[in-house]
Amino acid sequence: MRKLWLLSTALAALALAAPAEAQQRVTINVMTAGDQNMVDYITEFLGPQFEKQNPNIRVRAVGTGPGEAGSQKIWERLDAQKKANVAAWDVDVGVVHQTMAGQMVNEKLLDRYRGSIQSGSLVTRDTAKNALGSNVDGYVMPMFHSQTAIAYNPALVANPPKTFDELATWAKANPKKFGHNGIKGGMSGQAFVVGWIYANTPNSQQLMEGPYDAAAKNAWTPAFAKLKEFNQSAVITPGNAGTLDMLNRGEIAMGPVWVDMFYTWQAEGRLAPNMRLSVIGPGMPGQPMYYIIPEKAANRDAARQFVAFATSPAIQAEGIVKRFNWYPGIDAQHVQAHLDQQVWNKLFKDVSPQDLASKGKPLPMAQYFKEILEAYERQVAN
Amino acid sequence: MNQSRGLSLLLVTPALIVVLALFVYPLFYSLVSAFTDRAGSFSLENFDKALELYLTDTIFTVVIIGVSTALIALVSIAIGGYLTLGENRRAVAMLAWLYRWPLFVPFIVAAQCMRTFLAKNGLMNNTFVSLGLMDVASTQSFLDWRGIIVTFVWKQAPFVTLMVAGAMASLDRSTIDAARNLGASRLRILLEIVVPQVRGTLMVGLILSFVTMMSVLSVPIMISGGSPTMMTVDMAYRINAHGDYGVANALGFISYLLTGAAAYFYLRQSVRERSA
Repeated sequence: MRKLWLLSTALAALALAAPAEAQQRVTINVMTAGDQNMVDYITEFLGPQFEKQNPNIRVRAVGTGPGEAGSQKIWERLDAQKKANVAAWDVDVGVVHQTMAGQMVNEKLLDRYRGSIQSGSLVTRDTAKNALGSNVDGYVMPMFHSQTAIAYNPALVANPPKTFDELATWAKANPKKFGHNGIKGGMSGQAFVVGWIYANTPNSQQLMEGPYDAAAKNAWTPAFAKLKEFNQSAVITPGNAGTLDMLNRGEIAMGPVWVDMFYTWQAEGRLAPNMRLSVIGPGMPGQPMYYIIPEKAANRDAARQFVAFATSPAIQAEGIVKRFNWYPGIDAQHVQAHLDQQVWNKLFKDVSPQDLASKGKPLPMAQYFKEILEAYERQVAN
Repeated sequence: MNQSRGLSLLLVTPALIVVLALFVYPLFYSLVSAFTDRAGSFSLENFDKALELYLTDTIFTVVIIGVSTALIALVSIAIGGYLTLGENRRAVAMLAWLYRWPLFVPFIVAAQCMRTFLAKNGLMNNTFVSLGLMDVASTQSFLDWRGIIVTFVWKQAPFVTLMVAGAMASLDRSTIDAARNLGASRLRILLEIVVPQVRGTLMVGLILSFVTMMSVLSVPIMISGGSPTMMTVDMAYRINAHGDYGVANALGFISYLLTGAAAYFYLRQSVRERSA
């Protein structure tokens, strides 16, 4: 009787779970910072796809809220568990912004996993090694890259400016036709201000890579004076969406936007299809989001499997590029083979991979970034 | 006697705990944080920074809300006056039905509507242009301080009107009739007979509107991106972009002072009414 029972259980197990090691079901917790679309991406696309391939692993997605504050919450959770000497932490995979990724690496909260997953060799961009001045090499995999660019209306601007200098000249000749949203109405305006500082100060490389120098901000004064003058002939728009709205209504002819938001709006019919993009020189900032695995993740192997899957070329093509209009986290050439020409052309029509490589800049180091924003308030907004 | 007193204390406790835990404690905590520097010791550095960066915004806030309050007073007196003194019954009924609508629209929805209504090529200007009243080139955007005022007045005037019209309706009609018999014009009756009698209610309505507008974030953030902007936007920005609760709370403290002044007049008014 007992023998029969054993035999039938074994058969059932074999039948149910094809891979021999798959008897044990695990659930991994994926915690993601960012807007609801980040949670949607995992629950609606990534999770189900991954579970189909790995029937023994279930994916549970938790959103921690938009912006840096969302990343901060993930850090707080890891930090608390480390300080309490918990043996197995309940976050298996995290999705965080750059500032927090740097801090987590510095505080030794993360697993150095990139070398042990297959897709680890597919990313060579500097954001995989350096996060706003912190060395994160090996600890992170970029989930996607987002980029800011100048959106323009070709009906009103035949030859869009190619650099910040040309833009300043253009804006003077076309008053109130360029709009950006300042620093209080969202990140695309902040990115524009950062790009302006990169273009108009001699030490931009230091702002991105460090080292931090408290005196550096003194060199920005002329750049801000110039920006204040520039703002006289520009329009300040209400928010990231405000810039796109005004562009769409023909009230402005140009403005800085997030590339993914621009394409998503076009796909949804909220922005005229003839609008174009251009990343102007010397460069405009963008940022990645990172997959991280905590040092003591309860299900480390499953977590690595998950990140390897999420950063595989096929998934990056289908999920990141096709559905969400982001630039891939891994190097674009690996993704190209998995996309039909039309999708590829759409993503890289205005902003070529070469543009991205040469003009896609990181945001400045966290400390500089705060100082730039504050100096803007002091010297431009007041 | 003693027992019933104990019982009433017991009954009041839950409400008191809620007020203490959810209002007094956070209020106290934010006040302390406004006067504390990053190292945790007492300092005024948050106020230094708040005044250095946001003094213009503070003045801007007071002016915007002051102007809005004055306009709300005018609109509510005009509507309330017509409801009380109007002679065309159909017009009065229609106005009475219409003016309350904005009361049921949340601030954020009002702001969202104004954002497309008042824009340079928005609904309002496009209507003017298509009616031939305006030329496309001469349109301008009202999405700045004017948009904020328009939205505030649109949203808050019905609230004050509701109070004022109620007070006007309950006035002793004989004073109005007497003035009418003596040949006074309707405007004169409104300004010299009706408004003085509802002054208290009008005051209270305006003060409550003032305090409400002080706390609105959605309208300035959605309508005007430029600077100067209102203090609520600065507070949100300090927290979202810098995680800087100190300066945000210092700004909060300044707006407590402003609303505190309004609350003082409100209390004085209600004490006077009670003793009268």
